[in-house]
Amino acid sequence: MGKATGFKEFARQTPGYEKPESRVRHYNEFTQPLSNDELAKQGARCMDCGIPFCHQGCPVNNIIPDWNDLVYRDRWAEAIEVLHSTNNFPEFTGRICPAPCEASCTLNLEDIPVAIKTIEHAIIERAFADGLVQPEKPKAATGKKVAVVGGGPAGLAASQQLARAGHAVVLFEKNAYVGGLLRYGIPDFKLDKQVIERRVAQMKAEGVEIRTNAHVGVTVPVSELDAFDAVVLTGGSEKPRDLPVPGRELAGVHFAMDFLTQQNRRVSGEAFDAADILATGKKVVVIGGGDTGADCVGTSNRQNAASVTQIEIMGKPPVMEDKLVTWPKWPNKLRTSSSHDEGCDRRWSVATQSFFGEGGVLKGLNCVQVDDKFQPVAGTEFTLEADLVLLAMGFVHPVHEGLVDGLGLDKDGRGNVKADTVKYQTSNPKVFAAGDIRRGQSLVVWAIREGRQAARAVDEFLMGSSTLPR
Amino acid sequence: MKNVNPAARISVKLVSEVGVGTVAAGVTKAKADHVTISGFDGGTGASPLTSIKHAGSPWEIGLAETHQTLVLNGLRKRVAVQVDGALRTGRDVVIGALLGADEFGFATAPLIAAGCIMMRKCHLNTCPVGVATQDPELRKRFKGQPEHVINYFFFIAEEVRELMATLGFRTIQEMIGRSDLLDVNKAVDHWKAEGLDFSRLFHKVETDEPVYNCETQDHEIDNVLDRKLIAGARKAIDTKEAVRIETDIHNYDRTAGAMLGGEVAKKWGYAGLAEDTIHIKLNGTSGQSFGAFAAKGMTMELEGEGNDYVGKGLSGGKLIIYPPKISKIVAEDNIIVGNTVLYGAIEGECYFRGVGGERFAVRNSGAIAVVEGVGDHGCEYMTGGVVLVIGPTGRNFAAGMSGGVAYVLDEAGDFAKRCNLAMVDLEPVQAEEDAMEKHEGMTNDLEAHGLVDVMGDMTRGDADRIQALLRNHAHYTGSKRAHEILLNWEYYMPKFVKVMPVDYRRALQEMQKKAGGR
Ligand SMILES: Cc1cc2nc3c(=O)[nH]c(=O)nc-3n(C[C@H](O)[C@H](O)[C@H](O)COP(=O)(O)OP(=O)(O)OC[C@H]3O[C@@H](n4cnc5c(N)ncnc54)[C@H](O)[C@@H]3O)c2cc1C
Repeated sequence: MGKATGFKEFARQTPGYEKPESRVRHYNEFTQPLSNDELAKQGARCMDCGIPFCHQGCPVNNIIPDWNDLVYRDRWAEAIEVLHSTNNFPEFTGRICPAPCEASCTLNLEDIPVAIKTIEHAIIERAFADGLVQPEKPKAATGKKVAVVGGGPAGLAASQQLARAGHAVVLFEKNAYVGGLLRYGIPDFKLDKQVIERRVAQMKAEGVEIRTNAHVGVTVPVSELDAFDAVVLTGGSEKPRDLPVPGRELAGVHFAMDFLTQQNRRVSGEAFDAADILATGKKVVVIGGGDTGADCVGTSNRQNAASVTQIEIMGKPPVMEDKLVTWPKWPNKLRTSSSHDEGCDRRWSVATQSFFGEGGVLKGLNCVQVDDKFQPVAGTEFTLEADLVLLAMGFVHPVHEGLVDGLGLDKDGRGNVKADTVKYQTSNPKVFAAGDIRRGQSLVVWAIREGRQAARAVDEFLMGSSTLPR
Repeated sequence: MKNVNPAARISVKLVSEVGVGTVAAGVTKAKADHVTISGFDGGTGASPLTSIKHAGSPWEIGLAETHQTLVLNGLRKRVAVQVDGALRTGRDVVIGALLGADEFGFATAPLIAAGCIMMRKCHLNTCPVGVATQDPELRKRFKGQPEHVINYFFFIAEEVRELMATLGFRTIQEMIGRSDLLDVNKAVDHWKAEGLDFSRLFHKVETDEPVYNCETQDHEIDNVLDRKLIAGARKAIDTKEAVRIETDIHNYDRTAGAMLGGEVAKKWGYAGLAEDTIHIKLNGTSGQSFGAFAAKGMTMELEGEGNDYVGKGLSGGKLIIYPPKISKIVAEDNIIVGNTVLYGAIEGECYFRGVGGERFAVRNSGAIAVVEGVGDHGCEYMTGGVVLVIGPTGRNFAAGMSGGVAYVLDEAGDFAKRCNLAMVDLEPVQAEEDAMEKHEGMTNDLEAHGLVDVMGDMTRGDADRIQALLRNHAHYTGSKRAHEILLNWEYYMPKFVKVMPVDYRRALQEMQKKAGGR
């Protein structure tokens, strides 16, 4: 249980960062891991709560106090076993999860939470270094064939679980590499793509067949899925929210994902046939104050933008939440990512009324302050100069054309594929859906959860019962 | 307990399980004012998971049985019945009343209202919200306010009121024991519940008597010996003036001295009165629990004999018992006090001229006793104090003894065989030649220094301590045996064995180190 009084003795420590002025010159990860001694202390801070709120705070229900304790006791091999029992990919969540577990940590109520994410990251990296991550091949094949469509975290988790249950899994991915937003959305400086490859190698050894450049419903006919006993759709929520105001058609206004994906491809040397979208030397305005927006800020700075401004329509959240009201839930509060520290002007309660330009080329934005009902406040109009605008306002729902409509599936009110979180079954009984395609834009950790749970539902559907965890 | 504090309401807490009704009837006959039936759903956050999950049964079962048994035996009016064990809602209260409860115990839910988050660390002093901790830093984190708890109970009361209105009751009393109004079908719909027969649980015993607590117990303490002792000691209690009382005692005078002790404590607290302020000389055979809870400043001298439980919970008083002066019996060969003497004593002095029974000084945590022999299981579970036995002991001496010291005169040389050595070491008693100590007057002439030095550094000064106790013993009881040992000290000293709990010695040494190596 860690050390009973650990939380009183040791202060929270998280990995240090390379200095902003040097890290913006490259696209590598820039965290500086803690020593084993320090990690043991961080594990000791866990109180092994009678009611471990972190279990519920974590979408994959990581058994956090147990591995905190094991790290404290220097029992790393057992720690990875416990961690892997609930999470297929701790190397992803250990890097880029916003860590709702830490928000729900009991220590967060009156103190500073246990460095759960840091410990998770350390456990899995050490396990890889020590050769403890080996293929877990199924004992026997079931003879059932399952197609998984979409190679993001949900698809990867579902494929791995299903392959371990003995099914023959084919994972279809429209891009050249799997990983979904892990590969093409989240920048390399937050998640080195080698991390994905390392895991994919394990999955291939476990028997997952990966077919890339296979866009189901476009380059691969939907009818090919008929050959499978079950199909899991994990195509993500890829339809971006647009900003249909005057001037939207001007050259220089782009979706964030187009910009980010290009840079990720550039870093890994993957060719693409589209005109370069670059921030180099430009005045950049990022519209949207979330994670995608932050990634645009970080990438723009690495491309040497002249200036970076991020605007958000919502009001500025409080710096400190009222924990007695929010805990153990995820609070609304001001979040400053490492990308913001690299240089950026942030503004809140700002709506864009139009873009303006010259000769079809963007020159700036006409903006206005809004109240808390998003109504323009008269007399607060102002303009922002811009050569590049990146629309990072989220995603509305999955792409319907091709796959979803091709299979004729029911959708929910938001345009997501309709399925519940027990059976994950769509209106077509042998078709299942998990991740952003079902729940709408979300988090990697939720995608992993849904992938795992859908795998169990599919296994039950195919075999009548399942020993896969929920 | 009723004797120590006649105004106190005495409650007996019983675990809800089959057979609890019989136990409840028993304690009611034994004059409990109040019984609590505790269900298995509740429990402190500090208890082990095994106890939380596997002890007791639902409060409903125990409560129904208790209520029915009490009504059947005409005892229900005399005792208040409380129920607890994870009561959370007004509905729980109403069901409790219908099954026969007068009172309802809430613990966890109001604690949660005050900020408890069920960390289950109450026993580790690390409560992160400052509810169950003595740590001043952690207590600062406590955010609870009385209003939070008041609010919670308002909601409970409101729900009770609503349910009572639905059932057509005006008062709680009307509702108590109306088990005929309960029904299970609606609430429980589960295959496991099929075939369960609740008729015995809901059985309503027919009677014309009231079935709620409306009478008080007759504790039969209006004319006890202590009333006389208190009257005699009035001046001492009020003005600290020394008094001496002499009276006879009989074996029906139970718990003599307890009520007087309570009076002293009520007025002067644990500090009590100066030594010997109230000197009571009694003649005869006492009833059980002679000198129980006697307070500081009380000296009870009994010429005759004691019974079982002498000095139970002794709280600073001095007890002296010796055979009648005219008696021809050989004191050191005969029983003077019964079993379980000094049970749970915390402070005080006892001198018994004669042999004690079994479990002598069990759970003693600080009293000093001299006795001329003991039965089996002496000094069991003792945690503090000093016991000097100048005669033979029974077997299993010092079982579970974790603190305090005992000295045994081992003339036959076979004490080691009769001592339970699981937690204690046996050491010889040596004359101390530490000139420095003598010079400082620390161990010299202990009698003159009184109690303080007898209770001084337990790791040394054994010979002096034994001699001081022997002198006291001879002085108070006229013990021939003590006199003889003192006369022939050089001969007897090597025959004494010191019983020293291992962990106690370690703790003392650590404390000495901390205090600067003295
Ligand atoms: C820029 C950005 C940054 C983010 N940062 C974070 C972060 O820091 N932390 C976090 O937890 N979450 C973050 N998220 C959210 C997170 O990435 C997603 O919630 C998560 O990746 C969803 O996983 P998924 O498997 O459901 O879908 P995706 O990751 O979107 O994967 C879907 C995959 O399916 C493929 N596909 C789609 N349709 C087809 C088809 N018809 N045929 C074949 N393949 C198809 C796609 O190419 C893609 O590879 C971020 C999102 C973005 C956009």
